[in-house]
Amino acid sequence: MKFLLPAGLGLLALAIPILLLYMLKLRRRQVQVSSTMLWSQLLRDRQANTPWQKLKRNLLMILQLLVLAALVFSFARPAVQTRTVASGSVIVLLDASASMNARDGNPTRFDSARQAVHSLIDDLSPGSAMTLILVTGRPHTLVAAQGDKPRLHSALNKAYPSQGPADWQAALALAAGANQNIEETTTVIVSDGGVSGSILPALPGEVRYLPVGSSRRNLAISAFALRLSMDGPQLFVEASNYSDQAAAVLLSIYLENILLTASQVEIPPGERHGLTLDDLPDQPGIYRAEISSPNPTTPLDDLLLDNTAHAIYQAASERRVLLVSEGNLFLEQLLASLPNLRPYRALPDENGALQIPTDPFDLYILDGVLPDPLPDGHLLFINPGSNAFFNVGAPFRELTDIQVNTHSLTRYLDWSSVHILQARTCQPPEWAEILIEADTWPLVFAGQAQDRRVAALTFDLHDSDLPLQVAFPILFSNLIDYLSPPGAFDASRSINPGESLTISLPADAERVVIASPSGQVYDHRPQSASLTFTQTGESGYYAVNFIRGDSHHSQYFAVNLFDAGESDIRPRQNLQLGTQSVSAPPSGQIGQRELWRWLAALALALLVIEWQVYHRRSLPGIRTLFPTGARPSSNRPRQEQRR
Amino acid sequence: MIFSETTLQKLRQLHLVAARVRSGAFKGERRSSRRGSSVEFADYRDYTPGDDLRRLDWNIYARLEKPFIKLLEDEEDLAVVLLIDGSQSMDWGQGVEHKFTYALHLAAGLGSIALAGGEALSAYLLQDGTISSSFRPARGETALSRLFRYLETLQPGGETALNSALEQYNLGAHRPGLVFLLSDLLDPKGCQAGLRTLLGRGNEVVLLHILAPDELDPPLAGDLQLVDIENEQTQDVSLDGGLRSLYRQRVDGWMREIQSDCRRRGIRWLALPTSQPWDQVILREMRRNGVVK
Repeated sequence: MKFLLPAGLGLLALAIPILLLYMLKLRRRQVQVSSTMLWSQLLRDRQANTPWQKLKRNLLMILQLLVLAALVFSFARPAVQTRTVASGSVIVLLDASASMNARDGNPTRFDSARQAVHSLIDDLSPGSAMTLILVTGRPHTLVAAQGDKPRLHSALNKAYPSQGPADWQAALALAAGANQNIEETTTVIVSDGGVSGSILPALPGEVRYLPVGSSRRNLAISAFALRLSMDGPQLFVEASNYSDQAAAVLLSIYLENILLTASQVEIPPGERHGLTLDDLPDQPGIYRAEISSPNPTTPLDDLLLDNTAHAIYQAASERRVLLVSEGNLFLEQLLASLPNLRPYRALPDENGALQIPTDPFDLYILDGVLPDPLPDGHLLFINPGSNAFFNVGAPFRELTDIQVNTHSLTRYLDWSSVHILQARTCQPPEWAEILIEADTWPLVFAGQAQDRRVAALTFDLHDSDLPLQVAFPILFSNLIDYLSPPGAFDASRSINPGESLTISLPADAERVVIASPSGQVYDHRPQSASLTFTQTGESGYYAVNFIRGDSHHSQYFAVNLFDAGESDIRPRQNLQLGTQSVSAPPSGQIGQRELWRWLAALALALLVIEWQVYHRRSLPGIRTLFPTGARPSSNRPRQEQRR
Repeated sequence: MIFSETTLQKLRQLHLVAARVRSGAFKGERRSSRRGSSVEFADYRDYTPGDDLRRLDWNIYARLEKPFIKLLEDEEDLAVVLLIDGSQSMDWGQGVEHKFTYALHLAAGLGSIALAGGEALSAYLLQDGTISSSFRPARGETALSRLFRYLETLQPGGETALNSALEQYNLGAHRPGLVFLLSDLLDPKGCQAGLRTLLGRGNEVVLLHILAPDELDPPLAGDLQLVDIENEQTQDVSLDGGLRSLYRQRVDGWMREIQSDCRRRGIRWLALPTSQPWDQVILREMRRNGVVK
C-alpha cells in the first residue's frame, strides 16, 4: 500500500491542538456546588475501584484522535496495487444498444456493463485518463480524457441504454479520433458482442473486450407489416426464435387494443414463423402484435423490447393541386384520375393576367406560365422560362442520345417510345437531380431547393407525344407523389428506434406536435416544408398532430425493433475488428485501487460513536445547556429584599 | 420573619418534648418528674435535719406533733437551645429551598413553640468553628419579636467546623437542655466529637439535617470542574448518568451512617430536604417523631 498524496499526512499535526485542548482541560465548565466533600469521596472510591476509569474519561479524546487519523489517512489517498484490464490512456466503448436491455445481467446487461466500467475507473492508476463513449444509434462521448474518478463515475451513472441498434462504425470512428494524438491507448469495448454483423475497422493501439451477458434466450417479432391489397388491408407478422431451444409462443394480434386473433405456435430454434391476416376492416387503425409465454407465470425470454410491434393502417390524405395553365387537356384529365388528389385550375384572363388564389396548395403545376411572384409551395414547372430557381436558354430540336437515369422517380418508366420535337436548353441547378437528359441537356429534373421541392420538364407537352404514352401517367404520378407526398410520411413503413423520420408538412400546418409512446411531447413550429424528426428512441407508436388554428389532424407512425443483430442476444466471446480477433482478456495491467472511501466511512462511523458517547455523558442533554441548581447566594430572595 | 397567624396559632398549641427533663432555675409550665417547691400538693414525708423549715407543714405538726415536710409538684422550665450552622455551604438553593433561609424558618418556628411554652430559649450561630453570634436566653412570648429580629440579622459565611463550634458552645456556662442542631453536616471532619461533648453535658440533642434537593440529586452533566463555594476548592468530574447514580448512592450511604450513629447515641435525627415546607416539617414530621406534641 502506498499513499498517492503523502503530504496529506502532515495534517496529523492537527492532533496536537486536540491533545493540548485536553491537557489544558479547556473543555471543563466551572460549576459551583455547595460542597465538594461528597464528590471527592465518591471519586476517590470510584478510582480506587476501577483503574480503567482514567482511560474511560479520555475516551472522547481517543475517539477524536481516531476520527482525525481516519480523515487524514483518507486525505492522503492510500492505494493498493491491483491487476486491472486497462490503465494509462483508456477509451471505453460502452454498448448501449437494445440488446443490452436483456435481463440476464445485474439486473440488466447494461447494469453489469456499467458496473464493469465503474471497476475500471476505480482501478485506474494515478495519471491515467479515460474517455467514455456511449455506443447507441448516435454514439457520443460521455466524458473525454478525464482523470478525475468522481467525474467519470458521475458521467457513467447518467448513461442509459437505448432501445435501438448501435452504430459501431461511428463509435469506432469516434474512438479512433479520440486516441489519434495519444500514444499507447488502450481501447476497452464493454459489450455483449452484438455488433449487427457489420465488418468493423481495426483500431490503433491495444484493444480489449469485456463481454457481458450469459443468456441467448430470446424470441422476437421480426416483421409486422400492413399493406393494401386488392381485397383490402393485409397484415403480415413473423416471429423468430433466436434461442437454442424450441419455444412455444402465444402470438396475439390486437386492433386498437381489441384482440383480433391469438394462436399458440411452436418455433424451433433459429426458425421463424409467419402469419398472414386478411379480412381486416378497411378503416384506419393501430395494430399491435405481441408474443408472450403460454404460461403467464414464466417470462418468455430475456429481452422484452422486441416482443411487441406496432403497424399503422392509415388512409392517405387528399392533396390540393393547382394547375396554372392556358389550357392542357392531358394534364387536367390526368390530375382528375390520380387518387387522393383534388385538382384546381387557374387560367389567365383575357388580358393574359394571372390571378393565383391566396389559399395555400400542396402543389403548384405551372404549365408554360410563370406567375410573378412564384407561389409559395412545391412547384412543378412544365416548359418554363427563366425563373428564380434556374435559367432557361434557347430551344434545341435535335434530341439524340436520350438517357433515363436510375432514380426512384423513374421507376417503371419506359421512355423508349417517347418522342420530343424540341426542348429548351437549361443549365441544371446544383440542388437538382437529373432524371432524364438528352445531349447533356436535362429534360426532366427534380430536387429540394431551399425549403421546397421543385421539378421541371424543359419541354412543352404539346411538342411531344408523351401524353399519349404509358410513361406519362407514371412519370407524373411519381413526380406528384415526390413533390407532394400522399401523407406526411409513409405510415405503413415502421422505422427502427433511433432512425430519423422525414415528415412532409401540409401547407397549412402551423404547428406539429409529436407525442412519443411514453407521452413525451415534441412541439415544432415548421420553418420549412419538411421536418426531420430524430427523437425516435422509444419503441411503440408516435402520434403526429398537425395543427392549424383550432383544427388539427393526426397521423401515426410505428417504431419497432426489427433488428436481427439486436434480437439475437447470444453473447459473443470474440469481436472481429479488421483482421484482429479480440477476446476477453485476463487482467493484464497494474492498476491502483484507492482506499480513501473506506477510511472516510470509518471516520464517519467513529464520529457517530463519539457523538453518542458525548451525549450519553451529557444526559440529560437539555441540562447541559441550561444547568440549574448551582446558584450563588445572590439569588436568595431574602437578600434581594434587603437590597 | 413572616409567619401567618394560622401557622403561629398552630405552633402555639405545640410543646417541645424532652425525654429527660432538666430542672431549671425558674418555675416553668412544665411539670417535673421530681418533687419540688410549686404550689400543687403531691405527698408528705418525714422531716430530716437540714430540710427547709419553710416547707414544714405546721398544721399537721399542730395536729399530730410530728414534723412532716410537704411535698409539692415541682414545675420547671426547659432550656431550649437552637444551634444554627451558618457556614457558606448553607448558602445554597433557590427561593424557599435555600438552606439557610429554611434553617432560620425552622429556628423561628421552634423558638415560637419554646417561648409560647415558657421555656428558656437561646440561639447561637456557628461559623468558622466558633459561635459568631447568640440570642441570650429569654422566656415568654414577649421575646418572640426579639427572636425574629435576631434571626433576620444572621448571614451565612465562613467554613464549616462543627466539632470546634460545638466544643466552644460547651465551654460556656449553659445549663443542660434540649439542643436543636440545624445543619447540612457538610463538614469533612464530621460532627461526632461535638455531639458527644453535647451529650456528655447532659443535653438532649435533636439533629435537623437540612439538604437542598439538588444536593441529593444534582442536575449536572458533562465535563465539569466543581468549585466548593466555601473554600474554592475544585474537583474535576466527567459526569454522566452512571456517575450521577453513584453520587445518589453515596449520599444515601452517608445519610444512613449519620442516622445509625445518632440512633446509637440517642440523638433524634431528622433528614429535611428543603423541598418539604418547613411548617409541615414542624406540624407533621416533628410531631410524628415525638420532637413536639
